[in-house]
Amino acid sequence: MDVKKKYELEAALAKEAQQISSGALKEENPLDLSENFSILCEACRRGDLKVCQEMISSGVNINARDKFDYTPLILASLCGHYEVIRLLLENGALCERDTFQGERCLYNALNDRIRNLLLSYDYAKSTNPLQPLAAHITSLLSRDTPKTTDITIEAYGQEFHLHKFILAARSPYFAKKLAAAPSTTSWKLPNAIPTESLNIALQYLYFAEAALRPRMSEEEEMVVLNGLAKISRQLEIERLFESVTELKSDRRLVRQQRTEELERGRDQMEEWFEDHIVKNKIVVDTDKVDKIEWDRDNSIFADILLRADDDDEEYYDSTDDTASAGASESFTPLVRTAEGPLHGIPVGPVRSRSPSRQRRSPKSTIYPAHRAMLLRSEYFLTMFTSSFREAQETSHLQIIKLDCSPEVLEVILRFMYTERADFDLQTAIEVLFAADQLFIEKLKQRAALIISSLGNGSTSTVEAENPRGETDAEEIVDIYEVIRAGWDTRVQRLEEFGARYIAYRLERYIDEPEFAQIVQESAKRVKARQETDTVELVDDIRYYLSERFRLRFEDSGLDEMLAEEPRYQEGEELADSVARIDLEGKEPEDALVPDIEAQIAAGAVRTLDGELAGDEFAQDAINYQILLGKIDRLLEKLNLEA
Amino acid sequence: MIAGRGRQRIRPPRRHGLGGNDLDFEKLWTTISAAFLEIHTRNASTLSYEELYRQAYQIVLKKRGDDLYKRVNAFEHEWLVTEVRKSIKEHYSPQMLANAQGLSSTTNERRMAGERFLKGLNDAWSHHQVCLSMISDVLMYMNRTYCDETHRPPVYTTAMTLFRDDVLRSPIVESESRSVLDLLCDVMLDQIQMERDGDVIDKYLIKSSVLMLESLYDSKPGSADERLYNTAYEQEYLKRSRLFYRQESELLIREADAGAYCRHASRRLYEEEERCKSTLSEGTMPLIREVVEDELIRNRLSEVVEMESGVRFMIDNDRFQDLNLIYALNARVDDKKSGLTKAVQQRIIAMGNEVNEAAIAASQAPAAAPDNGDKGKGAAPERSTNQQTVAAIKWVEDVLQLKDKFDAIWKMAFQKDNVMQTAMTKSFTEFINSATFPRSSEYISLFIDENMKKGIKGKTETEIDVVLEKAITLLRYVQDKDLFERYYKKHLCRRLLMNKSISNDVERQMIGKMKIELGNNFTMKLEAMFKDMTISEELTSGFKRHVEGLGEQDPRRIELAINVLTSMTWPLESMGPSEEGDSRRTQCNFPPAIERIKRGFEKYYSEKHSGRQLTWLANMGSADIKAVFPKVPQKDGTFKERRHELNVSTYAMVVLLLFNDMAALQSLTFEEIQAQTNIATNELVRTLQSLAVAPKTRILIKEPMSKDVKATDRFSFNEGFSGKFVKIKVGVVSGGNKVETDRERRETEKKNDDSRGFCIEAAVVRIMKQRKELSHQQLVVETLHQLASQFRPEVSMIKKRIESLIEREYLERIEGAAVDSYRYLA
Repeated sequence: MDVKKKYELEAALAKEAQQISSGALKEENPLDLSENFSILCEACRRGDLKVCQEMISSGVNINARDKFDYTPLILASLCGHYEVIRLLLENGALCERDTFQGERCLYNALNDRIRNLLLSYDYAKSTNPLQPLAAHITSLLSRDTPKTTDITIEAYGQEFHLHKFILAARSPYFAKKLAAAPSTTSWKLPNAIPTESLNIALQYLYFAEAALRPRMSEEEEMVVLNGLAKISRQLEIERLFESVTELKSDRRLVRQQRTEELERGRDQMEEWFEDHIVKNKIVVDTDKVDKIEWDRDNSIFADILLRADDDDEEYYDSTDDTASAGASESFTPLVRTAEGPLHGIPVGPVRSRSPSRQRRSPKSTIYPAHRAMLLRSEYFLTMFTSSFREAQETSHLQIIKLDCSPEVLEVILRFMYTERADFDLQTAIEVLFAADQLFIEKLKQRAALIISSLGNGSTSTVEAENPRGETDAEEIVDIYEVIRAGWDTRVQRLEEFGARYIAYRLERYIDEPEFAQIVQESAKRVKARQETDTVELVDDIRYYLSERFRLRFEDSGLDEMLAEEPRYQEGEELADSVARIDLEGKEPEDALVPDIEAQIAAGAVRTLDGELAGDEFAQDAINYQILLGKIDRLLEKLNLEA
Repeated sequence: MIAGRGRQRIRPPRRHGLGGNDLDFEKLWTTISAAFLEIHTRNASTLSYEELYRQAYQIVLKKRGDDLYKRVNAFEHEWLVTEVRKSIKEHYSPQMLANAQGLSSTTNERRMAGERFLKGLNDAWSHHQVCLSMISDVLMYMNRTYCDETHRPPVYTTAMTLFRDDVLRSPIVESESRSVLDLLCDVMLDQIQMERDGDVIDKYLIKSSVLMLESLYDSKPGSADERLYNTAYEQEYLKRSRLFYRQESELLIREADAGAYCRHASRRLYEEEERCKSTLSEGTMPLIREVVEDELIRNRLSEVVEMESGVRFMIDNDRFQDLNLIYALNARVDDKKSGLTKAVQQRIIAMGNEVNEAAIAASQAPAAAPDNGDKGKGAAPERSTNQQTVAAIKWVEDVLQLKDKFDAIWKMAFQKDNVMQTAMTKSFTEFINSATFPRSSEYISLFIDENMKKGIKGKTETEIDVVLEKAITLLRYVQDKDLFERYYKKHLCRRLLMNKSISNDVERQMIGKMKIELGNNFTMKLEAMFKDMTISEELTSGFKRHVEGLGEQDPRRIELAINVLTSMTWPLESMGPSEEGDSRRTQCNFPPAIERIKRGFEKYYSEKHSGRQLTWLANMGSADIKAVFPKVPQKDGTFKERRHELNVSTYAMVVLLLFNDMAALQSLTFEEIQAQTNIATNELVRTLQSLAVAPKTRILIKEPMSKDVKATDRFSFNEGFSGKFVKIKVGVVSGGNKVETDRERRETEKKNDDSRGFCIEAAVVRIMKQRKELSHQQLVVETLHQLASQFRPEVSMIKKRIESLIEREYLERIEGAAVDSYRYLA
């Protein structure tokens, strides 16, 4: 890695400061003294994934700096928390080469693994987190199949096929116009405006980078710019004109402007989403859902209805949710349809509407939506391009049932419309499965991220406060469920998370029959491929276990001891612990031979634990051995290769 | 245990109403397979994608993907075997089953049956594709997860493979060994054969069959060579095409002429390429092109070229289009176009040799041809030389015509191909320099001479330019440039001295062109000749002023016009009498008046240029004499004094002045005249012939009157001479540029060889000086190379020159060298 010379950095820094003070450049790392930010910084120091995630979700600027000029990313890389760094980078923390803070971050990286991670996220390679959304909306301009457009703008013989909801969301002018006449299907361009100007304006509305066509003659440019000035005034999108005419010299400046532009656009989409889609959701009794009829010409230009049924359990569990649903029910127009779509095929074999549930009739929630946005999911793309029923034009909007709860559906919709994916841990697994089913890869990763960062409970990855795997009783995650979900949806991260989670609490899980079962399941997954492979889950657990105890030993301040035995070669380790146990005058037999009855050994430890609180090191060493021994025994019992 | 303990527990995913793994696979599969059946029977529009997808998704999520995958494949297999096969069988026709190229049925019936079959199969295929793409949509989750993880091909691919196995590879009927695929290929081949025979077929049908075969693979998918199209169809197609074209070309070559053959071949090529684009696959194009080229061109070209109506016929009859076709065909298979080139070269050489022979024949013909009449009045030997001149000019024109002809062919038929041009140039060079025809240099020079003297009269500049350009064109082909130079110099010399040139500008233009073509060296001497002429003019006028300046106003003053020629640059020897003796030695005695003026000029000249020696060449000069003939009765009865201005050669003037001082009727014998004038005998004979024998200029009377001049003949002044014009030109016998006689030619060649000897020696010395040591072989090669622009010396001559240089100790042999080598001695 080539490191910039000090004077070069200082020169760059001075120049940057000058640009910022002159207003040419936005301060990339503004000083932030808010409480949330300092909590985030603290979490980054300690490596607390959960808090980090919570703070990021709360909207803290992760690129800000504290009063010591530290950014969260610098703190995390200085303290060597790989997971935290990845979380920050995935959420848009900047580490750009050739900038002061970026170089500082790289320079401070604790080890090469972290430095490589940082380098792999250099701006040149990573993209703006909103870029996928923008790219999708831009692609709608040129997408022919399936047809999703509902308004046509004509200009000098050229036709632009567009989407009312995007126009309405992005341009106040269209919002007013279309609100007044939702069924409009065409709009004439004022004569004085050249097509090229309209084209640029549309590009802008559709989230593309607005720029003049290169190599235009000066007169052409004048005409187009004039047209742009007019059209941006008429459509009330003054930012368009500014962004076209602004000078694009500096790479960072361009990026900052683009980021701002995308955020503004996203906010508009979000506003529209909240105001029109969420507000128009309908909650009805499931058996009446077929009677809902929406005209094609509706005020929010929806062309499809999505339905999610309440979970069976929720009939009993949740109460507040349905209360509000009941309130909105009165608004829904219920019309009985004679030509309802096919009923011949049962809707899944298992939706038993058992008459035994008398307390409340099952409810369904209907969200109006736009195919254009749903196309972001490959599932919907395939559905709408196929020749199945869903792709056909019907007099009323079709209702498509999705196999998830209404909250999850809303999460999905919000993600597709706004790229926002902030949801809580409870729904995370369900979102994970739904995203997997619908092929929304980013949302899936997002769900995995949330599970693995929030699911860790209040315990930090640094087990300083919790040396002996003691956890509070607050189990918020069914860890077996998470691991299985990770397997089912092919998310490696969740399996790693599960292994770490278990490793740090192995005392609790090691004896559970469910643990043995999941180890067996893991082994089966591998066996499908090769006989001699090890059990992946167990390997991972062992790895995290060693990490956990190593941290313990380091914390104990017994550096000399560590120097003598840098790795926990089993023999040495054992001898060492035996020696210590001898010194203490306790019965060593249990610890000596790992093959001795595990239950007895475990019992012995527990007694040790109680009596020898003073010598943590010996206790940990023994605990470590015993846990390893237990794993071996378990594998043996399951007849698996170790 | 843990469940229920948390207050904010993470919610597990929905189990779709079912817990654990107790999935009702059979029930789900029943639904799905029923839907698939609907899809296959084109009833899909009422099916809900969402439901089908969800069911398939559930199955896969519950780890039953394997079962589903197998069931789907089994379902497809079943469908193809029972339904599709049956529907295809309906499209067989009885003849097809008997034999693909059923001989019993008419072409039309066969075509219809074939189309029916193709249509049936194509429909089945395209419907299969549509259905499978729908099914793939439904099974998307399985394709993405299960198939990826287990490295199985997606459902679509498997189903296409099934179509191959269950439909295409199934036997046509139970007992037959031929499969549907074989039948398909046969039908396609048959259809294409019909098209070749001129029928109109449904190209679209074949194209879609080709697309089908292209999307299927023989065994493992992947490489393009493994496509069914390539393995099952293309090979066979190429084989049959080869056979067809082999037969066709045999037939054609027997029945059609070369032009028609070429037209047919290029049409076939075009057709085949078009067929690949419209009916078959573009990938086949290079292969089938190769086949057609092989059969129609490569194997047949030499035959076509040699045909009676072949290249020779086309060239002779200016069949540009046919030549162009044959050229295009040949160019396809051979960059060098060797077949055509050879034929064209042969033709050029043959025609060139004809021209050469004609020229030789014309020059040797004893009697003058009738069109030679304009010169018919000349003396007999003169006539034969004239005839030769005419032959020379005719030769040049013939060669030029030939050149024009082939240029036209080259431009119009050979697309200005470089290789062809080189070959044609080579052939021209060959016949122009052929050993049997050594006169080309002389003829070309004569051609230019003729044009300079007469030909360009009244022509515009551009026309003149064309003529000159032609001459240069021919000059390019001439290898012995030095020989040409010699002739040209000689001819030019005469033109200049005798003022025969029509325009000096044109002369200079010509020299300019030669300079461009042959280089500075070549024209240096020619330019020097022009320079001498200019200087002479200045000298003449300078001398005139000088004389005037002497103040001696002599009314009978003789005016002198003089040409001072540098003896090295002018080919003076060739101007003199062609006898062996040294003519310059015999200085003629000038009459006193002339002698005075001669000395005057010599004095004047030596004042201007000291140290130069002037030699007077009286044989080349001429004089204007004002003569008064006394009043004697004429034949026509007039009786008066007559004044004539006689233009005579210097010798004639000297002779005539002898009679000036004599009484009328006094006579001198030949010997007396020679004694007084000291003119060489043969010159004097010629002079007296011109003065006394030529009927129009009989200024002297010869006794006895006869054509020959003998030593004892007497000559007296003809007082009764009269002429129609005041100015009379007394010609000199055998003046002007004629083709050399054989004797002259030998002489010229001898001289030429001498000068070549010097050139060779100079080249050898130059090379050796630079290289110091060189083997004999290399030395010869380098010498040839250096002299290539001037002439091509014979190797024996080079050897001789080297020997001579060794004798003169310029070189020495290196003793004991492995190969003959020489060393340069400084």
